Amino acid sequence: MQALKLFEYLEPKTVDEAVQILSKHGAKAKALAGGTDLVVSLRKRLLNPQYMVYIKSIPGLDYIQYNQGDGLRIGAMATHESIAESPIIRENFGLLATACGEVGTPQIRSMGTIGGNICMAGPSQDTPPALLALDARLKLVGHGGERTVPIDEFFIAPFETILGQAEILTEIHIPSLPTASAGYYQWITKMSSVDETLVGVAVVMTAGSVDGICKDIKIGLCSVAPTPIRARRAEELLRGNKIEDKLVEQVAQVAADETTPRSRADYRRKMTGILVKRAINETWRNIR
Amino acid sequence: MGKQISRFTVNGDPYEIILEPQMALIEVLRDQVGLTGTKCGCGTGSCGACTVLVDGKPILSCLTLAVTVKERNILTIEGLAEGSALHPIQRAFINNGAIQCGFCTPGMILTTKALLEKTPNPTREEVLMALSGNLCRCGGYVKIVDAVLAAAEIIREGGQT
Repeated sequence: MQALKLFEYLEPKTVDEAVQILSKHGAKAKALAGGTDLVVSLRKRLLNPQYMVYIKSIPGLDYIQYNQGDGLRIGAMATHESIAESPIIRENFGLLATACGEVGTPQIRSMGTIGGNICMAGPSQDTPPALLALDARLKLVGHGGERTVPIDEFFIAPFETILGQAEILTEIHIPSLPTASAGYYQWITKMSSVDETLVGVAVVMTAGSVDGICKDIKIGLCSVAPTPIRARRAEELLRGNKIEDKLVEQVAQVAADETTPRSRADYRRKMTGILVKRAINETWRNIR
Repeated sequence: MGKQISRFTVNGDPYEIILEPQMALIEVLRDQVGLTGTKCGCGTGSCGACTVLVDGKPILSCLTLAVTVKERNILTIEGLAEGSALHPIQRAFINNGAIQCGFCTPGMILTTKALLEKTPNPTREEVLMALSGNLCRCGGYVKIVDAVLAAAEIIREGGQT
């Protein structure tokens, strides 16, 4: 194991302090949360920051709060483990608990944070599809103030987001789901030691007041495009219509056609179709 | 930050370390504290050989900057036995043939300790899930799971955790 190169280590006590430091040092500084991705990059010499700004110990950034009106608010420094095990999230946003429970290994889940995960923006990460299907909004705090962006505007390219150099993601806000909604996250993996996700599909559906009508559907996909994506054309096909086997088949096919996988494209497209169909059927079955 | 003298608590004992920020916890434990029971497998968080318990939770010491766990309680494999009395988990691993080359063993045992504290009566499936971050290159998994279940029974029947 190679030793890491030297850097200055700073431990800000507040978000504002962290933003000041990141602002001051620009591209020479990196914000460190759980370190499960960042320290690996340093060890592999892919990154060489001169300043490591530790934000995981800033108090008050790891909360999980829920009320019916406002929805779910998760502090960016909440670990995958805390989210996967949260009774609130398992009860009301189960697919997110599933997705966070699938990240890495138990050790990585207890160290890694959801904020760090989102900002890493790997194309095959499990949490973004669930967050996309749940219409998550991200609170970013920077030098000029705060802004809230919908998650489907956050990812630009593999490992690239709209997060500014001196910006910190502080909160993930997920609006409450309407009654008669359910969600599901399903995936297949590469079967390697790291067990990276090969295709990930998250679905959230809401039933209409008329029997059998799907009022709303959101489909989030990972590992089938340069960034995590929503399968919007597929969603449109089903939204407002009656759930029928033939239509679900079509929706699954359209979702598969919306993907742009880089490698093993045929297999990934085929599996996207299969997983979307399964996820829709499973979600529909679970709607109370 | 530069070089700093920092106090660490490892296995209940205090140590003064000359700490630099780029040092991983595993380096501090092995090279400075001198506890070489914690093994480095991959150095990139995929194998779990470097697992130690920080405040009771299994973490990867190869990816943890030592400076971030200064104030915490760190438990390594050396901290399990009481003098010459092995911990029930250690005894179970020996008695169930769960140790081949031994390289994954410290990490496996510490992860097991955390599991059994949280879930004293795990199913085979739960054991597999809990150990999914600890790889065994010898392929010793079946015996390892046997050992974990055996240890669980011993501890439930009155051995300590």
